[in-house]
Amino acid sequence: MQKIKDFIVNSRVWRSFFRHGWPDNPLDRSLVMTTNIFFHLHPVKVSRKSLRWSYSFGLGIIAAIVFTVLTVTGILLMFYYAPTVERAYTYINTLQSQVPFGQLLRNMHRWGAHLMVIVVVFHMARVFYTGAYKPPREFNWVVGVILLLMTLGASFTGYLLPWDQLAYWAITVGTSVAGYAPGLGPTAKATLLGGPEVGQEALTRFYALHIMVIPAAIALITALHIWRVRKDGGLAAQDAEEEGETNG
Amino acid sequence: MAKKTPQPESFSPETAPTKTYSLVELVKAPTTMADRGPDNTIFAFPAVALIELLLTLGVIVVLLGMSLAVNAPLEEIANPNTTTDPAKAPWYFMGLQEMLEHGHPTLMAVALPTLMVLFVIAIPYLDNDHRGSGVWFTSARGKRITLLTALYALIVMPIYIVVDTKYPLREILRGQFPDFLLQTVIPGLLISVIVLLPLLILLRSKPTSREIVLVMFTMLFVSAIVFTLAGFLFRGPGFELYWPWNMPGGYSPWDNL
Amino acid sequence: MAENKSTISRRQFLGIAWTGSLALFFAQMMVALLKFIKPVTSGGFGGLVYAGKIEEFAIGSINRILKGRFYISRTEDGIIALWQKCTHLGCAVPWVEEEGQFHCPCHGSLFNKVGEVLGGPAPRPLDYFPSEIRSGEVWVDTSQPIQRKKFDPSQITGA
Repeated sequence: MQKIKDFIVNSRVWRSFFRHGWPDNPLDRSLVMTTNIFFHLHPVKVSRKSLRWSYSFGLGIIAAIVFTVLTVTGILLMFYYAPTVERAYTYINTLQSQVPFGQLLRNMHRWGAHLMVIVVVFHMARVFYTGAYKPPREFNWVVGVILLLMTLGASFTGYLLPWDQLAYWAITVGTSVAGYAPGLGPTAKATLLGGPEVGQEALTRFYALHIMVIPAAIALITALHIWRVRKDGGLAAQDAEEEGETNG
Repeated sequence: MAKKTPQPESFSPETAPTKTYSLVELVKAPTTMADRGPDNTIFAFPAVALIELLLTLGVIVVLLGMSLAVNAPLEEIANPNTTTDPAKAPWYFMGLQEMLEHGHPTLMAVALPTLMVLFVIAIPYLDNDHRGSGVWFTSARGKRITLLTALYALIVMPIYIVVDTKYPLREILRGQFPDFLLQTVIPGLLISVIVLLPLLILLRSKPTSREIVLVMFTMLFVSAIVFTLAGFLFRGPGFELYWPWNMPGGYSPWDNL
Repeated sequence: MAENKSTISRRQFLGIAWTGSLALFFAQMMVALLKFIKPVTSGGFGGLVYAGKIEEFAIGSINRILKGRFYISRTEDGIIALWQKCTHLGCAVPWVEEEGQFHCPCHGSLFNKVGEVLGGPAPRPLDYFPSEIRSGEVWVDTSQPIQRKKFDPSQITGA
């Protein structure tokens, strides 16, 4: 058994995938971070303080995880949906009553969407109250606010897709608010809806925004967001530690 | 500061400057790694990888549990001729819809929210003092300011919502004054006074920039939560105020999730 | 080089020219994008809608015409075709017989029989459609709702 394992792990094929051994020593633990695309967002070493649960509550990571869950469930839901006024509602009904685990998937997508909004809002509050927006992290705070607004946009555009009474009137009310903005308001509203009222055009546009435009933007900007966390010196908890030590 | 600089052999004493450095300015900045305590870091692998794995499992378990317990709502097919009663936006916009109850839409749903978002974006530029970063509330005083402001908002905002709904100045004086005054100027002034009052009190005690944004953010954040909850939980048919457990007509606010 | 009177060098000029062209190019793309996403539908949900015979509308009554999404309100002077869309946030406003007024469920806007605001946050009276009575038949043109600041008797079609 050990021989087979050694043979596989030492083979040229395996070595071409992973350029390091099992990370149980400092060298391999560094290499796993620097040579692995999924880990390379992390630093090789992290301060104990920034890992402390009571500091960050892990909210940023949770938001990213929920976004991933939403992406997976959302893609699966697309298999049983089409954005037409005549059929969208029927599709949701079929999904819930006939497709195995269809109702469960829809539930996960819906509750996941709500959870993401809550988590992102609390993440912002955490960053604010720990003062983690201060220099040099100003720009990343702005990026974060943009991500929060995009999260709301993703959830709002998805709200229309079941095409039930709840969806229809929520979007009618929500988009009418935009119409009150002086100047560009009415144009912005009409552009979003593709017409004067919520109808087929609105459903088509919301679908495109919901499944492609906003998620793609969120994914890209999240990459920027996390990259900036690294470039700005990790979590701000580390700074506090350093200052505490130099001062006393 | 040492006066004598050691001169490398290759330099000829005639060409080399006698003094190669001078003290120009003292700068307050993080020091290099010298003279520091033990490095308080650990390898990210496996600690962070494990944390992330556990969080992923936790999120999936929570979502699965919730999804098994409660079904996502689905009402009848959309009908442009019948509005549901009440008609509510998604819950995270219910704060906005609640605001709409208290003044002209351009003020309540456009101007004030835009100001709020602009303020939130501007926070790091209003408070750009690096000190106190990475500490909850920065100081004991900061914590007290936050708690007091939150308490103030928690008390005043529900009172404002209830009083303004039961005795709306706009309705009582309707027709006697121009609509612009009643719908925009008076509600705008009222809200501004309520929101800015804690800041005015704080300004008397020479606050730091951090404390100023603490007061403003807490005020806006708690108010947003109060308005969202009021709109989402306490508004029933006809968009009237009710207790969430005592809604008429079998309506439950949770159906709107 | 002495005869070169220009204040900018060839390098600077080319730099400005390139940046300018690129900016112009992207501006063009943005304008094209804006034109592209501008809605193509003209609005309105139909032309002339036949509401019914004038005798069917008793004086003081409110009748809903579902296919045209409007109400026929009959007063002593005549009729007015009120669009059902609330001027506040676009909800369909139902006529509540017990209250004797239009009562919007979204934010509690109240309108009277000719669409004037009685209460609530609505910023202007209900929009109305031009109507016509041809040999006792009520026809309503739903292609163009009319916005108004306040009610005026001229908005009523005599009957």
